[in-house]
Amino acid sequence: MTQSAQELINLASSQLNHVILGKSNQVRLALTALLAGGHLLLEDLPGMGKTTLAHGLSNVFGLDYKRVQFTSDLLPADVVGATVFDAKTSEFNFRAGPIFSDIFLADELNRATPRAQSALLEAMEERQVSIDGESHHLPDPFFVIATQNPQSQSGTFPLPESQLDRFLLRVSLGYPDQAAERELLKGRHGRGSLEAMQCCISRDQLRAIQARVPKIKMTDALLDYVQRLVGQTREEELALLGLSPRGSMALVRSAQSWALIQGRDHVLPEDVQAVFVAVAGHRIVGRRETQGNQLARHILNTVDVVGGVRV
Amino acid sequence: MLANHYAISQQVTYRGMVWLLAAQLVVMLPFAFYLPIWLIPVMLISSYWRFRVLKGESAQPKLFVRLLVVALGIAGVLLSGMTLLSLDTMVSLLLLGFAFKSLEAVRQRDALVVVFIGFFLVAISFLFSQSIPAGAYGVISLIILTGALIANQQSPAQQISRYATRSSLKMASMMLFQCLPLMVLVFIFMPRFSPLWSIPSFESHAKTGITDSMAPGDIANLSKSDELAFRASFEGRVPQSDELYWRGLVLNNFDGKSWQQLPDEYDTSELKHQLLYNMAWNDARIEIQGDPFKYEVIYEKTGQPWLFTLTPTTKVDGKTIKFGDYRVMSRGDIQSPFMMNAVSYPDSKRDLELSDYARNLALQLPASGDEKTREFARVLRESSLSNADYVEKVLNRFTDQSYFYTLRPPLLGDKDTIDKFLFETQKGFCSHYSGSFVFMMRAAGIPARIVVGYLGGEWSPDGEYLSVRQYDAHAWAEVWLEGEGWRRVDPTSRVAPSRVEGGLEAAVEYEGSFLEGNPFSARNFKWLDGIRKKMDSIQYGWRRWILGYDSESQAGLLKSVLDKMSSIPLAALVGALFLGIFLLWFVMLGLGRRQNYEAYEHQLYRKFCKRLEKHGVLREPQQTPYEFALIASKKLPSRAAAIQDFSSLYQQLCYVPRNGAGRDEPHQKMRRLLREIS
Repeated sequence: MTQSAQELINLASSQLNHVILGKSNQVRLALTALLAGGHLLLEDLPGMGKTTLAHGLSNVFGLDYKRVQFTSDLLPADVVGATVFDAKTSEFNFRAGPIFSDIFLADELNRATPRAQSALLEAMEERQVSIDGESHHLPDPFFVIATQNPQSQSGTFPLPESQLDRFLLRVSLGYPDQAAERELLKGRHGRGSLEAMQCCISRDQLRAIQARVPKIKMTDALLDYVQRLVGQTREEELALLGLSPRGSMALVRSAQSWALIQGRDHVLPEDVQAVFVAVAGHRIVGRRETQGNQLARHILNTVDVVGGVRV
Repeated sequence: MLANHYAISQQVTYRGMVWLLAAQLVVMLPFAFYLPIWLIPVMLISSYWRFRVLKGESAQPKLFVRLLVVALGIAGVLLSGMTLLSLDTMVSLLLLGFAFKSLEAVRQRDALVVVFIGFFLVAISFLFSQSIPAGAYGVISLIILTGALIANQQSPAQQISRYATRSSLKMASMMLFQCLPLMVLVFIFMPRFSPLWSIPSFESHAKTGITDSMAPGDIANLSKSDELAFRASFEGRVPQSDELYWRGLVLNNFDGKSWQQLPDEYDTSELKHQLLYNMAWNDARIEIQGDPFKYEVIYEKTGQPWLFTLTPTTKVDGKTIKFGDYRVMSRGDIQSPFMMNAVSYPDSKRDLELSDYARNLALQLPASGDEKTREFARVLRESSLSNADYVEKVLNRFTDQSYFYTLRPPLLGDKDTIDKFLFETQKGFCSHYSGSFVFMMRAAGIPARIVVGYLGGEWSPDGEYLSVRQYDAHAWAEVWLEGEGWRRVDPTSRVAPSRVEGGLEAAVEYEGSFLEGNPFSARNFKWLDGIRKKMDSIQYGWRRWILGYDSESQAGLLKSVLDKMSSIPLAALVGALFLGIFLLWFVMLGLGRRQNYEAYEHQLYRKFCKRLEKHGVLREPQQTPYEFALIASKKLPSRAAAIQDFSSLYQQLCYVPRNGAGRDEPHQKMRRLLREIS
C-alpha cells in the first residue's frame, strides 16, 4: 500500500462530501457499514440523495454499481437472475440478475412484496444465490444499500424485525441545511459532480482495510459500557424487543469500523455512541410505540459512560 | 429522563391516582362503623367524583367549588350533633379533609400528602378498635397505602409495565416485611411515655356493661348480651365458683323505685371526690385473714370507670383508686383494654366499726311507701333472737315460699314495688331479690347495701383464665352485723342455687330465656363451642401479650432479662442497643450499595466528578471523559490543565490497550491531579 489506510479513507470521505453536501456524519456512517462488511439501510423520503450516495460510494471505490427499483410486481428473478434457454446452443444458461454487482442499490425496498424482499435478504446473509440447484457466489466486496420510505407511507410492506436485523446500520439523510441547499441550487455540486470523482481506493485496498476492522482493540472498560447499553435495551420496562447478540456484535463491529475511520487503533466510548443509534434504532422496539430511534437515544442519554456495573 | 431526574413536582399519573383512590377507600372504610353515617356517601361520592375527573368525564373542580364543598362538609359535621372539640368531631373533620384532598390532588406532592394522612388515619383507627381483625385490617391498609406511595413515585416507564400493580404490591409488602424486626424491637423496647394529654372520650362509644343505678329489669337486659366484660387469671390459689363475686358498684340509696349509689346524683368525677372524701380507703379497718387470691384482670373497653374485683382487694396497681366501700375504680374511663394486678383476702373481716356516715347511708329508706313490707319486717325482727337470726329468717322465707327465679318477671308498676314483689308476684331475678332483701334489713334497722357486679365466669379449657361476660352480671347484698362487720349475703342463691354454681344459663334453663333476643350469639350454637373457646383463647393472648404490654410489663421484662438494674444504666443500655442496630443497618445499607466494586480508576473518576460538581460543573451520564473534560476546562479555565491531564490519564487507563505497564503510577498521578483540582 502506497498510502496509509487513514489517508485513503480521508480522501474517499472528502470526495463523497463534495457530492453529498453537509452530511458528513451520514457519509461516515455509510463508510462505516461498508468497511465493516455490513449492509446499509437508508430510510428517507424520495429525493434526499440516497441514490447519489450509493453512486458516489461505487465511484470512489472503483466498484460496479447496479440499481433496482422495487415495486409491488417485482419478482425474485428480476433481482437474482434466471436460467434461460438458449435456442442456438440448445442449453440452459444462467443469466445473472442485477444483484451480481459490488454495490447493489435496492430502491424503495419496502414497496416490494415480501417474496421479492426475501430473495434479496437471503442473498445478503449468505452472499450467494441458489437458482435451480446451482449456487452462484456474489462478488466480494458485496454491499447492499437499501432505501425504504418511512413506514407511514401507503403501499408499503414493512420489513419484519428478523430481516431488519440483517442491516448493519440504518441511517437517515434528512433535509440538507440552508448553506448546503444553496450550494446545490447553484448547481455546482450534487449528481453533476459524480463524473468528476476519481477512484481512490482499489478493490484490493478496500479488502485490506476491511480486514483491519476486527483488529481494532477494545478494553474491558469499553466492553463494560457496551454491555451496559445493550443491557438497558433489554430492560423489560423500556423495550419489548431488545438487542439480540447479533445486534450487540454489530454494535461492536461498527464501533471498531468507526474508530478505524477516525484513525485510531482502539475504540473509545465516543465511537460506540456515534454508531449506537444507527445500529440499535431499527433493531429494538419500545413499549407504547416508542420509536426505536427515540428509545436508543434515550438509552444513550441515561446510561453512564463511566465505571463498572451500575443499576 | 427517567429515574433520578423524575422530579416530584410531576403530575399525578392515571395509575397513581387509581392507587390513591383505592387506598383512600380502604383507609376510610373502618371509620364508617363509628362515625356519623352520612360520612360514607360523602366519602364515596368524593372518590367517584375524582374518578370521573380522572377519566375526563367531568372537569377539575374550581377553587370556588372546592371551598363550597369543604364548607358544606364542616357544616355537616357541626350539625350532626357532636360536641365541638371532641375527638369524634376532629376525626370526622380529618376524614372529610382526607376524602376531599384527592379532589385537588393534581401534583405528585398532593398525592404524597394524601398518603401520609392515610398513614395517620390508620393509626387513629386503633383508637376505635384494637381487636385482632382491626389489627389485620390495619396491616392491609398499610400495604395498600405503601403501594400507593410507590405507584406515585414510579417513573412513567415503570408504570406502563404490565406487572406494575403486582410489583408495587409486592414491593410494599416486602418493605413492610423488612420493617418487621424494627417494629418488634420498637414494640418491646421503645419507652412508653404517658401521653401529654389523655385521650378524650368518644361519644360514639356506647357505654356498655353495668350502669350506675339499678331499677328492676336492668340486669335482665345485660343477660341478653354475651359480650366479654373482662378476663382474669389467677396465680396460686384459685377461687371456687361461690367465691367469684366480682364487686363493681355499691348502691346505697333507694328512692322507692330504683337504687342509686349515693343520695344525690353525681357524675363520675364528682362521685369519686365524694367517695374519697366520705369513704376513703383505710388499711386499719380491715382485718386480714386467710390466704389471698393473686390475680390479673384485663378489662374490656367500657367507657366507664368501674373495675370489678374480688372483695376485699387490698392491693392493686396501675391507675386505680381504692375506696372505703371496697370497690376499685379506674382513674379515667376505660377507653381501651386495661390490665391490672390485684390481691384479695376473701376471708378478712371488714369494718368492725361502722362510721356514722356509712351507717346512715346503709340505713336510708324513703319516707313512705312499701308499708306492708315495713310492717312485716318489724314483726319478724321482734320475733327474732338477733340480727343474724333475722337475716337467716328472711333468707329462709325466700326458700320456703314459692319464689321463682326468672328473667321474665311480671311488671311491678311505679309504687310499692317491693310489696308487690314480696307478697304478690314472687317472681324475679337478682336485682329483685337483693333489692327487697336490703329493704327488709333496713326496715328492721340493720345496715345493708346492694353490691352490683358479676358472678362467676367461664374457665378456659385449660383452666388458664376466666372469661366474665355481660350475662354474668349480678346483684347481691351486704349486711353489717355487730362483731362481724360486713357480710356478703346473696338472696338469689337461696332461690336459685344453680345461678351460683352453674351460672345464669343453668339457672334459667327451664324457661329458655338465656340470651333471649340475641339469637345469633355463638353461645346459642352448642356445636360451635369448641371453635368459640379456641377463638376466645387466641383473643386472650392478644389482649394479654399485645395490648396489655405497657410500661410496667416492659420494665418487668427488661428487669427479668437484665437482672436487677437501676433505671439509668438500663436506659443507657436500651439507647446503646438502638444506636447499635441503626449503625449496623446503615453499614449494611452502605455495603449493599457497594456490592459491585469498581476499579480504582473509576472510583477516582467519580471523585473527580464530585469535585467538579462542587465547582458547578455537573457531568451528564452520557458525557464521555473527553467531552466532559472539554466542557469542564472551558468553565474552569484556571484548572483546565489539571482537568485535561486527569481526563486523558483516565481515558488512557480505561480505553487504550495496555502493554503490561504498571498501573500504580497513573493512579498516583491521578490522585495528585485530583488534589490540584480541589
